[in-house]
Amino acid sequence: MDSTKLTSLEHCAAEHVSDGDTVFLGGFGHAVPFALGHELIRAGRRGLTICRSGADILADQLIAAGCVQKVVFGWIGNPDIGLSHAFRRAVAAGSIDWEEWTNWSMVLRMQAASMGVPFLPGRVLLAGDIPYELPGLKTVTCPYTGETLAAIPALEPDVAIVHAQRADEEGNTQMWGVVGDTAAGVLAARRIVVTVEEIVDGAVIRSSPNLTIIPAHRITAMAVVPWGAHPSYVEGYYTRDDDHFRKYGDVSRTAEGTEAHLDRWVRGVDRERYLSMIDTKALADGVGK
Amino acid sequence: MIDDTARMAIAAARRLRNGEACFVGIGIPSLAALVARHTHAPGLSLIYESGAYGADPATLPMSTGSPSVASGAACLGDCTLVFGELQAGRIHVGVLSAAQVDRRGNLNSTVIGEYRTPKVRMVGSGGAHDIASLVGRLVIVMPHDPRRFVERVDFVTAPGLGEDGGRPTGTRGTGPADLLTPRAWFTFETGEMTLAGLQPGMDAALAVDGFSWEVPHADRVVELTPPSGEELAVLQRWHTMEGAK
Repeated sequence: MDSTKLTSLEHCAAEHVSDGDTVFLGGFGHAVPFALGHELIRAGRRGLTICRSGADILADQLIAAGCVQKVVFGWIGNPDIGLSHAFRRAVAAGSIDWEEWTNWSMVLRMQAASMGVPFLPGRVLLAGDIPYELPGLKTVTCPYTGETLAAIPALEPDVAIVHAQRADEEGNTQMWGVVGDTAAGVLAARRIVVTVEEIVDGAVIRSSPNLTIIPAHRITAMAVVPWGAHPSYVEGYYTRDDDHFRKYGDVSRTAEGTEAHLDRWVRGVDRERYLSMIDTKALADGVGK
Repeated sequence: MIDDTARMAIAAARRLRNGEACFVGIGIPSLAALVARHTHAPGLSLIYESGAYGADPATLPMSTGSPSVASGAACLGDCTLVFGELQAGRIHVGVLSAAQVDRRGNLNSTVIGEYRTPKVRMVGSGGAHDIASLVGRLVIVMPHDPRRFVERVDFVTAPGLGEDGGRPTGTRGTGPADLLTPRAWFTFETGEMTLAGLQPGMDAALAVDGFSWEVPHADRVVELTPPSGEELAVLQRWHTMEGAK
């Protein structure tokens, strides 16, 4: 790999994500880039537009930390537990802008950008109230059938942040298990910043190239960050820390509780200290590659 | 003892048919589909928006991307695979819940109150709008809470039927077919929510207690068969009854 690409977690966030960027967050419940997201908080990023289909507590934490000016989403909350309280508070305070789609239309937006077309036709956002709150959304008449479809506009993020299982020294990045819309979102972005659990030999990658979701030439920067997706999980490495999501559901109900959580888990916390606070043995138990 | 979750899940499970492809949400929708799959519908294929087709989670997943959704699935593709199948009209039935439902089967999971200045800002659509717009037919599960049943939802996240009782332009499928609560079974064949059945021990007044509009009755309101021993045994693999030790 280009030696300037393989770098530290700190460098990934400091040099490759800028204030005001539109940032795609990888991870559909699986391999959510928590370490990278937390590094953005520590780096004091401001004015970000964050986008993804189903946004979980990483989005909530970025909002709570003041990094986010706008959120573009299909869903935002704490899965099976409750609301994104920081988003709820920011909406009530009038301190955040948002654009609300659906999960499929967000996938189509990323897919369109990844394919270099200005929109993709979709059979959603044609009924109900969501389209009324998307004043820029247009329909298109099919030139073949005459049908009316939604013209779902491409969304090209400035940068994607993503966590994955492994890469080789060149930067060829593999992800398996639930990929969700991560591959589409990553390839939609102009720049790609990746953390991986481990670097493996190029021969390992080339023995199962169907698992590669990002070819090396598209990688902007990469860092090796074991447990970089905790409290979400990484297939083959460790399981989901459901209890962490439950506890966050409780503490995030108040701004004070969320601040205390960020102080404990993010601000001034290095990776060694972070890992000392989680039961890595229990979370990795029985999870085989 | 049987709790409300069990009553809803088992009644909803019975609305799912063997051999169907079934797009499911998290929570009681997943539980209903699992009960169906492990009782009368072994060929029911559970589909999650994260990309899993033919999922068979050993534990009830907290997220559509949870480990139990992926492990044991027959096929793990991506969002484009499953939403693509949905959009192509290949998925027979969906199971959803929401914060509010109205007499036309419209679902709201977006806001209580005004959109820009809400009383409660909720999670938004996720895949709910997409499923309700595109799936063959929709099965809805809702706890019996009068605040959840309104004549018109504050915000139509997932479209059901229009004011004329027909499907809105641009949607596919027949829309809401069945709505199950711990007290009753409602259908939408006439274009609006209609009381079609009662959970064991319930009466028609209790079924709609607290609702803000007059819910019509079907010509014949049936009594639902109580959960069987098999249904309860299967359900308890994924659900611990409320109040149980």
